[in-house]
Amino acid sequence: MPARLEISLKEHLVDPEGEGIRNKAKAYFGIDAARIRTVGILTIDAALSTDQLEAIRRDIFTNPVTQVSSYRPLAIAADWVIWVGYRPGVRDNPGATAVEAIEDLLGVRLGAGEAVYTSRRYAVSGRDLSRAQAETIAGELLANDIIQQWRVFSKEEWDPAEGIGFVIPKVRLDRPAAVTRLPIDSDEAVRRISAERNLALNPNDVPVIRAYFSDPRVRESRTAMGLADPTDVELEYISQARSDHCNHNTFRGLFRYRDAADGRSEVVDNLFKTCIEAPTLELARRKPWVVSVLWDNAGAGRLDEQTYYVITGETHNSPSNMEAYGGAITGIVGVYRDPLGTGKGSKLVMGGYGFCVGPRDYSGPLKPRLHPRRLLDGVIEGVRDGGNKSGIPTAFGQVLFHPGYLGKCLVFVTAVGIMPARIQDQPAEKKRTRPGDLVVMCGGRVGKDGIHGVTASSEVFSEHTPAGHVQIGDPYTQKKMHDFLLEARDEGLIQFITDNGGGGLSSSVGESARYSNGAEVDLARVPLKYEGLDPWEIWVSESQERMTVAIRPEDAERFMALSRRHAVESTVIGRYTDSGKLHLTYAGKTCAWVDMDFLESGFPQWQFDAEWTPPARRGLVEPVLRPPADVNRLLADLLQRPNICSTEWITRQYDHEVQGTSVIKPLVGAERDVNSDAAVLRPVLGSRRGLAFAQALLPAYSAIDAYAMAACSIDEAVRRILAVGGDLEHIGGVDNFCWPSIQHDAQANPDGKFKAAQLVRACWALRDICLAYGIPLLSGKDSMYVDGHLCGRYGETHKVSAPETMQFAAISVVPDVGRCISMDGKAAGDRVYVIGSTRNELGGSEYYAHLGYVGLNVPQVRAAGFLPAYRALARAAASGVVASAHGVYRGGLGVHLALVAMAGNLGMRADLREVPASGVDRTDALLFSESSGRFIVTVDPAKRAEFESSFRGLPCACIGELTSAPVLELTGLDGRPALSAAVLELKAAWKKPFGNLT
Amino acid sequence: MATVNVLIPTGYGLNCDHETAHAFALAGAAARRVHINALIDGDVRLEEHQILVFIGGFGWGDDHGAGVIQAVKMKTSLGERLLEFVSRGKLVLGICNGFQALVNLGLLPGFDGDYHSRSIALLGNACGNFRNQWVRLQVNPRSPCVFTRGIFAADLPVRHGEGRLCAEETLIRRLDRQGQIVLRYALPDGSRASGRFPHNPNGSVDDIAGICDPTGRIFGLMPHPEAFNDWTNHPDWTRERERLRRAGRPFEAGETVGVRMLRNAVDYMRAA
Repeated sequence: MPARLEISLKEHLVDPEGEGIRNKAKAYFGIDAARIRTVGILTIDAALSTDQLEAIRRDIFTNPVTQVSSYRPLAIAADWVIWVGYRPGVRDNPGATAVEAIEDLLGVRLGAGEAVYTSRRYAVSGRDLSRAQAETIAGELLANDIIQQWRVFSKEEWDPAEGIGFVIPKVRLDRPAAVTRLPIDSDEAVRRISAERNLALNPNDVPVIRAYFSDPRVRESRTAMGLADPTDVELEYISQARSDHCNHNTFRGLFRYRDAADGRSEVVDNLFKTCIEAPTLELARRKPWVVSVLWDNAGAGRLDEQTYYVITGETHNSPSNMEAYGGAITGIVGVYRDPLGTGKGSKLVMGGYGFCVGPRDYSGPLKPRLHPRRLLDGVIEGVRDGGNKSGIPTAFGQVLFHPGYLGKCLVFVTAVGIMPARIQDQPAEKKRTRPGDLVVMCGGRVGKDGIHGVTASSEVFSEHTPAGHVQIGDPYTQKKMHDFLLEARDEGLIQFITDNGGGGLSSSVGESARYSNGAEVDLARVPLKYEGLDPWEIWVSESQERMTVAIRPEDAERFMALSRRHAVESTVIGRYTDSGKLHLTYAGKTCAWVDMDFLESGFPQWQFDAEWTPPARRGLVEPVLRPPADVNRLLADLLQRPNICSTEWITRQYDHEVQGTSVIKPLVGAERDVNSDAAVLRPVLGSRRGLAFAQALLPAYSAIDAYAMAACSIDEAVRRILAVGGDLEHIGGVDNFCWPSIQHDAQANPDGKFKAAQLVRACWALRDICLAYGIPLLSGKDSMYVDGHLCGRYGETHKVSAPETMQFAAISVVPDVGRCISMDGKAAGDRVYVIGSTRNELGGSEYYAHLGYVGLNVPQVRAAGFLPAYRALARAAASGVVASAHGVYRGGLGVHLALVAMAGNLGMRADLREVPASGVDRTDALLFSESSGRFIVTVDPAKRAEFESSFRGLPCACIGELTSAPVLELTGLDGRPALSAAVLELKAAWKKPFGNLT
Repeated sequence: MATVNVLIPTGYGLNCDHETAHAFALAGAAARRVHINALIDGDVRLEEHQILVFIGGFGWGDDHGAGVIQAVKMKTSLGERLLEFVSRGKLVLGICNGFQALVNLGLLPGFDGDYHSRSIALLGNACGNFRNQWVRLQVNPRSPCVFTRGIFAADLPVRHGEGRLCAEETLIRRLDRQGQIVLRYALPDGSRASGRFPHNPNGSVDDIAGICDPTGRIFGLMPHPEAFNDWTNHPDWTRERERLRRAGRPFEAGETVGVRMLRNAVDYMRAA
C-alpha cells in the first residue's frame, strides 16, 4: 500500500509560489483568484513501516518551523483543487533525491520497482472562478500534457478524506526485450521500414545501405556471427549516424548557387569544408594559441602555459518548443557535457544563453503550442535551474523577440570550460581509445528517453507509456558525475571521454571506437531505469547525464572506487577492439555486426538548389520619411522596444558569480542595472588572466541579406570583446546556425531555394569576416528545419519559418583582468568620443521596424577598414586611458549614448555634427543607423591628448562630454537642439516593459 | 606559525568548494576540499581540522528544502562528531546552502547549548525567485561573532532562492538581545534596509542576513564572502579605479572584506 505525504506551509505564512501563480493568472488570463496555496505531495511506493514513514515525515520532509504535513489530505480551504503530477517515465528529480534521503536516514535500500513520486496540489480560492478558469490555470500555467497529467476538482468533487487518491506513474512495459530482423529485399522495403520506424533515412542513402548488406563478403562475415538480414539495432544505428544532426549533411552538401540578378552560377561543394574548416585551419597555423579545433566535442585555446580553455555551443529548439522548461534545462545541462567530454575532460567555468521567441504579448490569430510568454517563462526557468544547480556561472545572454519564432523557438546555450595543459605529464587535449580499453558508461540510467527526438510526440499515450521524447535534465546527477570525472582525470585514469547526447551510446561508442578501430558492447549490461527496453532502444536512447569513458583494465578498480565515493553509477559495458567491427551483443547473441568504415564511405552528398535574388530586385526600398519632430519621445519609445529594453529580470535569476571568478558582470554601472558589452571572468583563481565572452544575434537583417546578418553579428561580437578589454589578436568564435528548411519543394517549401542561398551567403560572410578579423572557429553547430505549422483562426494551418539566424559567440583572453573596462560613463567632465563612421544603414534597424518598415540599406562590415580603429582602441585600453567603452549596436547611436549616460547616472552633452559620418545628412539617420564598426568611449580630460594620439587619421572624434546634470542633450546636424531628455526618464522607459517581473 | 586546517566537505551537488578553499588559502589557512563520503568513511578525520565550512550550492538539488537533506545526512552519519567538534571550541561556518544546512542541523541558533533543535527556517524569497545581486551589509558591533571582528560594513553577493529567515518572534527578539544577529541587509547609505526590496533581497525578517550562536563560533550567512575573494569581484571596481586614478592614487584595494572575514576565523584559531 503506497503512502501519500502532503506538505504545506503553515497557514499564516505567505506562499510565494502560490502568489506567483495568482499573479500570472491575473496578468496572463485576467483570472482573479483570491488565494492560491501550494501543497507538495510525495507518493511513497515502498514497503516502509508506520514508524519509518513517521520518521521520514518528521526528520526530512517537514520543517517544524514553517510547515505542516500529514499522510492524510491536509485541510486547506479551496473552491477548486488542481493536482499536477508527472507522466510515467518523466524524470522526477525531487522523487529521486527523496529516495536518497530516505535511504540515508533509515539505513535501508529501496527494492527494485520501489520509488517516490512527487506531485503538487494547488488549493485555489475564488468564489466566482469557473471550471473553465480553473482548467486554464491548470493547463496553461501549471502543467504541460507532454510531461504531466492533471486533475481539477471542484469544492463539491473534492473528497477531503480521499484527496487526490494514489497515482503511481510507474513505467510498466511488460514485454520481453527482442531483436527484430528486417529483410531489405528492395529499396522500397527499406523506405517502408524507415517510414514505419521513424528512421528518417534519406532516400539517397537507401541503395548504399542495401548494397552493403547484400555484399557477399559482408554476408559471409555476418553468417559467421549468426546474422543475415540487418537487425533493428543496425538500421537504427545507421539512421542515427546518417542523421543531419550527427552528420551535418546540409553543411556538407553540394549547393548550386545562382544569382538571379546577373545570372551567374557557381557550385559550392561543402559549406563546412570551404567556409568553416579551411579558414579555421589556415588561422590555426598562424595563431599559436589555437590548441585543438574541428574534431572534439569543443574547441580549445590557450589561456596560458598551464591552462587551456574550451568552448562550444548548442541549441535545443524543438524540445523547448514542446515543453519549454524540460527542453531548456536539458539543453543547458546537455551542452555542459561537451566541455566535460573535451580532451581528457574539462571543468565547466561559464555558460551563456540566447533565447529567440515570438512577441511576449502576442495576441494574433495563430496558435502556437505554447504562447511565447509561457514558453519564455519556461525556458528562462529551465536554464536557471540547469545552470544554477550545476554551479556554473551564467555570465552572459540575450533574448530576442520576432514573430518568426512563433513557429519554433530557439534556445542557444554556450559552454566554456578549462583544463590543465598536461595531466600526469600527458597532453590533456589529446585522447584516444586503444584495443583492450574498457567501455564504461557513467552517470544516469537508460530509459526510453529522447528516442527519435520529437517524432514520438504524435504517438498515443496509455496510462503507463513513458513520455520519453521530451526530457527533464538532471543537473544534480550531472554535477556529481562532473566532480567525479575530473578527479578521475587528474589521477590519469581517463584515456578517452565523450558525452552521450544525440544518438546516445550509438554515437558515443561509435565515434570513440574509431580510434581503436572497433568495439564490443554487451547491451544487456547497460543499467536501465525500468525493464522492457529492446536492445535497439538501449543503443540509441538519449537519456541524459551520461558520459562514455575509456579506461585501461588495470585502472578499473580505482576508477570504480572513485565512482562509488562520489555516489555516481559507472558500468563496464564492453571493450574497445581493433577488429574493424562494431560488435553488439544482447543476452549472449550478436545483434549488430557492422564494419567501422561503413559509415564513412559511399554515402551520397546531399544537394540543394540555391537561388539568390538581391534585395533591390526583391522590391525592397528605403521608406520615404520626413524627419521626426519629437526625437525625445522617439528615443524613449525605442528604448522600450522589446529587443532593446532591460531584461534584468532574467539576468538576476541566473547565478553569474558562482566559482568566485566574476570580473565584468552582465549588469554594470552605478546602479548595476545596465547590460555590459561582454562578460569577463578569471577562471583560474590564483591568476590575473581572464576570459572575455560575448554573443551577438541580428536575425532582423536576414530580411534583407543573410550575408549582412552573419557579418554584422560577428562584428558585433568582436566589438563586444574589445569594449571590455579583450585581445584582438586572440578571438575564438563559435557559429551557431538556426535555419528554416532549405530543400525546395513547390508545395511545402516554395522559397526553399532562396533560403538555401541565404545559407550559402551567411556561410560566405562567416568565412570572409572570420578570415579578416583572424577568428578561428573553435566550435559550431547547425540546426535546420526551424519551421512550424500553426493553426489559424479558421482551422487552417500556416507554415511559420524562423528568420535565418546565426548566433555568434566570441571568446578572448585578457592578459590582466585589472585592466578591464566597463561601459558605464564614469565622471562628469569626461570627454565622449565616437569611433567608427556612421553611414546611411538603417535597413533592418529598430528605428525602421518601430515605424513598420524594413528598408534596403543593411549595414555592411568593412572589416579591413574597421581594423585600424579596433587596434587603436585596444592599445588605448591597454594603456589605461579609456574610462568606459561601449559598442554601438541595435538601436544605433541614440540608444547607446543614452545607455552610457544611464549606466553612469550622469548626463551627456554632445554635438552630433562632430560624429564621424559618411553620407548621412539627417539627425534621425545619424542617431538610429545601425552601422557596424562603432564604439562610444569616454575619457578623462586629463588623458585626452594621450587618447587622441592613438587615433590620428582614424574615424574618431570627441562629440561632447558627460555632465553631472542628468540630462541627455544632443545638438542636431542642423546645429539646433535635437534632443533634451532627463536620463532618469529614459532609464525608466527602458526598464518599463519587463520592469514588474522578478 | 601554527597551521590552521580548514575542512570543506563537497559532493552531492554542492558547489563553491574551489573558491571557498581559495579564499581560505588567501586568509592564511590550509584548506582541503573533501568529499562528504570521505569524511563519513573515515578517510579524512574531522578532528584534524579547526574550521569546518558548510559551503554554498545546491546540495541534493535543493529538493525538499535547501540544506535539508545535507543536514539529515550529516546528522545521521556525523552527528556526535559534529557536536564534539563544536564543544572543543572550533569554528563552523555555513554559507548560503551551508547556512540552510546549519539551521536544519540545529547548530543555529544554539540557545543554551542546544545544538540540535530546528527552530529557524530559510524560506523562499519573497520576490518569488532565485536572485543574484550584491547587497550592502550592516555588521552588528555587539555580536560575539568571531568572523566579523573589526568589520563594520560589507558588500557581498547573494545568490539564492531561499534566504528569507523566518522564526517565532520571541526567538528573533532573543537573537537580537544576545547579539546573535550578525549581519543585516542595509541601504546604500549603510542604514537598515527595513525590508525594502531589493536592498533586502529576500524579505528576511528584521533584515537578517547572518546569525551566529551565543559563543560567536558558529556563523551562518546567506551572502557569499568567498565570492569576494579579489577586488575585481566587486561590481563597482571599474568605477572605483577611475575615481582613484583621477585622485592620482594607485588602485590597490588590498584584502577584500570577504577574505577578511575568513582571516578573522583563521587568526582566532591560530591564537586559540
